[in-house]
Amino acid sequence: MMEGVSRTPVFRALALALFVGTLLCGRFALAGAASLQEMLDGALTPSSAPALLGPITSAGRIGWQCRPERAASSKDARDSELPASPSTP
Amino acid sequence: MRVLFLVALLAQLMSASGPAQTYTPSTPLPRTTSAPALRAFATAREVEERFKIGLDAEARGDWNAGVAEFNRIVALNPPEPKGSTAQYDLAIAYANLQRNDDAARALRAAIARDPEFLAAMANLIAVDLARRDVGEARRVADRYVALAPDAARALYSRGIVALQAGDAQTAREDFGKLLHGNPSYAVAHYDLALAEERLGRFDAAERELNSALALAPAYARARFALGVVLLREGEHTAARDAFARATADASGDPALENIAAAMRDSIKVP
Repeated sequence: MMEGVSRTPVFRALALALFVGTLLCGRFALAGAASLQEMLDGALTPSSAPALLGPITSAGRIGWQCRPERAASSKDARDSELPASPSTP
Repeated sequence: MRVLFLVALLAQLMSASGPAQTYTPSTPLPRTTSAPALRAFATAREVEERFKIGLDAEARGDWNAGVAEFNRIVALNPPEPKGSTAQYDLAIAYANLQRNDDAARALRAAIARDPEFLAAMANLIAVDLARRDVGEARRVADRYVALAPDAARALYSRGIVALQAGDAQTAREDFGKLLHGNPSYAVAHYDLALAEERLGRFDAAERELNSALALAPAYARARFALGVVLLREGEHTAARDAFARATADASGDPALENIAAAMRDSIKVP
């Protein structure tokens, strides 16, 4: 009789501990998955903005002598002073 | 006495027969005695001189001196194109002093004076991105693309702004158009891949990243993005390989190297 009375609270405590442990593990697993997702989302950043185009003389932007305006209007990426590709084969 | 006079006259003539030195002033010599006209000539001359001094200062990186010279030109309010050009050059000096709000103000003034000043628009977008004003950057980028729809810099700039603003569709269109004329530009393949990934088009993203890596095999950021896309597609082994390669290639970028290594180690491959 004494054994039955003393075992029930122990089993209850163990069951509660197991339940809480399961909840916490699940919570941490979810948090880990969320942080991984956030890490992935934050890691995919766009390329940098282009650097500033250079100064212009008092003659102004019109004409072939004005390199910045030509860079701003060129169809060719190589003439546009855009960020360079990290490496070439 | 006559002989002496003749000798003196000959000597005078000989000394005066050398070639006269000529000067070519950058501004025309005044041919008037009118006070307003003389003032205008003096102002024009001052503007020219300050442009030269200011550009020399910027060439040697003396940005404070550049600000002083171009601010003085702006105060003199010269006619176009000098007025908008002074504002443009002033903005470059401000931006290099990290005074981006002042730089943006000067570039806005340049564009107000010359509404088709593409270089000023290009620089205003870069300055706005530095000061995190994506809203103005997008408005200027829209105007830039409207004025120069095929310009590589216009398409690239608006694509970057669109990606930062979460408008993946516009970014996809701009980088796609940029690549149509510049298929070997690896950076644009990478940014197009980001737009495709955000639109959930993982096949297309993977294709663009493979194109970027074919052009630039050590492009660590593209290799990392490929790992992310492969992971989203459930290709764990290939993703892990991509992160491992990105870790090796990102040696000059500690942040990327760390995150790539963390991703590599977090994937359990059977």
